[in-house]
Amino acid sequence: MSDHRVMIIDDEKIVGDMAKLSLEQEGYIVETFLNGETALVRLAEQKFDVVVTDLKMKGIDGMEVLRTVKSLYPDTRVIMITAFANLDTAIEALRGDVHDFFPKPVKIKELKASIQRALGG
Amino acid sequence: MGDLIVNVLAKGKGLLRRALGSGQVTFKVMFSRFRQVLENHNRAIEIIADMGDKLGGDYLFDIAYIRSAYEGLYATLGSSIESFNVLTRDRYPQLKNVFGRIDRDIRLLVYDRAAEGPQAFGGEDQAIASLEFVLPYSSITLGMSHVAGGKNANLAELKNNVEIVTPEAFAITASAYDIYMRHNKISEMISALGGNDGPYKAALNEIRGAILSGAVPPDLARAIEGAMASLKTKCGDKCFIAVRSSAQAEDGASSFAGQFETVLNVPLESMRVQEAYKQVLAGLFSDSASVYLKEVGIDIRNIKMAAACVLMVDAKVSGVIYSTNPGRDDGTLIINATWGLGAAIVEGRADSDFYIVRKGPAPAIFSKRTGKKDSMIVNSDEGGVATVKTPVSIAEINSLTDEQVLELARQAVLIENYFRHPQDIEWAIDEGGRIFILQARPLRSEALKIESQVSGARVLMKVRGNVVQRGVGAGRVFVFKHPDGLDEFSRGDILVARNDSSEFIRIMPYASAIITDTGSITSHMASLCREFRVPAFVNAGNATQVLEHGSEITVVADDEDQATVYDGILRDVVEQARRSLAAMEDVYEYRKKRYVLRYISPLNLVDPLLEKFSPEGCKTMHDILRFIHEKSVMELIDNAMRGLKGQAAKKLDLPIPAGIIVVDIGGGVLNSVEPPGGRVALGQVASIPLRAVLQGMTYPGAWDSAPVSLKVNDFMTSMMRMPDIASGSEGDAWRNVAVVSREYLNLSLRFGYHFNMIDCYCSETARNNHVYFRFTGGATDMVKRSRRIELISIVLKNYGFNTKSKGDLIIGRLANMKKEDMEKILDSLGRLIAYTRQLDAVLHDDGKVLLYANNFLAGDYKL
Repeated sequence: MSDHRVMIIDDEKIVGDMAKLSLEQEGYIVETFLNGETALVRLAEQKFDVVVTDLKMKGIDGMEVLRTVKSLYPDTRVIMITAFANLDTAIEALRGDVHDFFPKPVKIKELKASIQRALGG
Repeated sequence: MGDLIVNVLAKGKGLLRRALGSGQVTFKVMFSRFRQVLENHNRAIEIIADMGDKLGGDYLFDIAYIRSAYEGLYATLGSSIESFNVLTRDRYPQLKNVFGRIDRDIRLLVYDRAAEGPQAFGGEDQAIASLEFVLPYSSITLGMSHVAGGKNANLAELKNNVEIVTPEAFAITASAYDIYMRHNKISEMISALGGNDGPYKAALNEIRGAILSGAVPPDLARAIEGAMASLKTKCGDKCFIAVRSSAQAEDGASSFAGQFETVLNVPLESMRVQEAYKQVLAGLFSDSASVYLKEVGIDIRNIKMAAACVLMVDAKVSGVIYSTNPGRDDGTLIINATWGLGAAIVEGRADSDFYIVRKGPAPAIFSKRTGKKDSMIVNSDEGGVATVKTPVSIAEINSLTDEQVLELARQAVLIENYFRHPQDIEWAIDEGGRIFILQARPLRSEALKIESQVSGARVLMKVRGNVVQRGVGAGRVFVFKHPDGLDEFSRGDILVARNDSSEFIRIMPYASAIITDTGSITSHMASLCREFRVPAFVNAGNATQVLEHGSEITVVADDEDQATVYDGILRDVVEQARRSLAAMEDVYEYRKKRYVLRYISPLNLVDPLLEKFSPEGCKTMHDILRFIHEKSVMELIDNAMRGLKGQAAKKLDLPIPAGIIVVDIGGGVLNSVEPPGGRVALGQVASIPLRAVLQGMTYPGAWDSAPVSLKVNDFMTSMMRMPDIASGSEGDAWRNVAVVSREYLNLSLRFGYHFNMIDCYCSETARNNHVYFRFTGGATDMVKRSRRIELISIVLKNYGFNTKSKGDLIIGRLANMKKEDMEKILDSLGRLIAYTRQLDAVLHDDGKVLLYANNFLAGDYKL
């Protein structure tokens, strides 16, 4: 069991719910958020090892989450997931030092492997 | 001869015109429509498979995916229906309506639209009126929870498929809910629901009042009356029923337990049943139910309430079983029991007896605790129930004998295995000691860490192929030979077969896993496996040879393209996999989103010979696809036979006197530039299926049992043999026709008094391929003809055909097969056609049937 913390941000509840269940089975401590605003508030009070965020969200979107995390919490790795994958967003995300980038639907097994890599495992 | 053909052509054209109307649709056009149908069919099946995969619990998906996948399916299926309607000249206009209805149900879910007001349904009065308000359990399947509600669907599924006893019952459907609400003008009130807490509660209150004081519409009242009358023929006049809620979304959601209304012990009298029904409807709008619905994100306007009318059991003892102990990962189940009715346990109101039973090959009671059962609930004579004091003599003794505990445990395991998910089961035992299962629903279980504990087990096979349904299954190997053998299949066996086949549906609910040497992840069998959650693996190579019939194995198919087969039964691994699935299904959002598949994936139309194989019988998008596919093939066959003579026809030169005319509709014959009436040499035949059949027909010894040395492609031989055509005038002999393209063959042959017909599509894409074989007639007496049918049946089944026979007619079908395998089958059919020409003359007794069938299969064609 690891005590690594993973944050999931997606404006659709199902993504957070499914990810939480799957990742908790791996022993991670998982918190889910439906928007970037509340997620950033939480990040200010609790350190997370990995943040998995949706790209397109109302208000604070995935790119903004990425920028904030990279400037304030440089140790935290960010994994981006999006239903609207295209080359431009991928390049932009990669420039922003994203750890990984997945188009949705994301295979849970691959997400788990990516998180493991992010944690240096 | 030339004149004859011209005459036939003229006649044929007339027939063709009449058959096709003024539209001048040629067979070539038909054929191209058929190919469009096939292409769309494949695309649609792929989308359905992808949705099943992405929504199967292994992917994080969002609504955007579901929407885009569904829109793709909708467009593909829509265009498939267009092509189909051209192909069938609009013979199935209802199909579009059925498609529209299923589409509307899906869109309600996918776009989370609130139920539209009565105006929106205005144009569909008739459609609603024609839907059934009441259904007997015999016509309800698990996939029909949107019609009959979750409770009905689960219980009916058990009643119809599992060897347990459930009480007689019928369902009042979601359509009945619709008509009741519309008849009493409550629909408008429901669509207007909104506002914040105060006004919302007031509105709910008003709706409940309107429901309770409403009138049951005459059509619905008659339907209920009819169902009651039929129940009375089984239980007499003096019987009682429970009227229970069976909401649409109640499907599989244990968390709905206790949210809605149940009225117990209702006398089977019209007014009493109607009153109880109204109470159940009103229960949907109770404050607690609405709070709950809101919490789990269901719009109350989108849900319909069906009702389960279940015969009351005069219960001596009742209770609940959790088929997997939710608290412990130790292979046990738990049973609660109390005297009288079980309502007290269900509602958690009373102490009860408590048993833990260890599952496994030799189940045993692990522990017992006797409860202090001070009070009990019993049926009142005039209806309703009453709580009474338990007689002191029995209050503190066990309500179940050990035998009863073990029998209940056995049935619970049966049910859990059937649904492949831990179950929460309600049961009752009557004065006569008979056990009744009253309800079964998925059990909420804790999320558990999944780990494969397969170390140490011996690996029998590690194969690459395609996982159709992920999962783990353990059981005895059953190597499939032919469909009749399936009768020997035992519950829990693992089916190992050469090809995949939708015929396997018969055993699918009982199979622990399915492995096939070849197959496709988009076949009908694959869809069925996903529907039934049967771990399945196709393209496993040589599983039928490696795995020994009767041996015990565990199949772990947890990767996309790899499965591992272990020696022996690894119970822990199976149990863990089941819990993992159960855990994901406990995620409400997941279950809710996945629900859309209910309208898409299940396949209800399996057997084209059954009456329900109709547009009206289509309950899902998959059904529509299946219907279109089957009817398109049939249409093609009919048209090939009717319209063929409108095309350029040529005689085929063969070394046997089969007298075949070839009509090429594209790529079936090389250098086909000659005018009608010309000849085609065997070597010019480019049609893959025709070549294969001819190869069989001309196989040495098959056509003529006399020792002749026929050489395929021997033009001289063929010319010399032409004149000795067996029967009738020379003209008669040229009545055999092959309509061909490169990949298609429709061959109709008449020899003497019997007819053979082959319709076949044989291409590189296995799932496009089909072969349909029909044999009928014969000159000898009926008994001998039936023997010939029997022989053909044995042979066809041996090749894996699904066959149906009646009198002197036999039909065999086979589909979804690789080109090379198909060619072999066609070659064999060619030999069979040749062999059976004169066969009935020698079938003097029944014993000869098997002898000649075996001879044929062994390649011995002597008569």
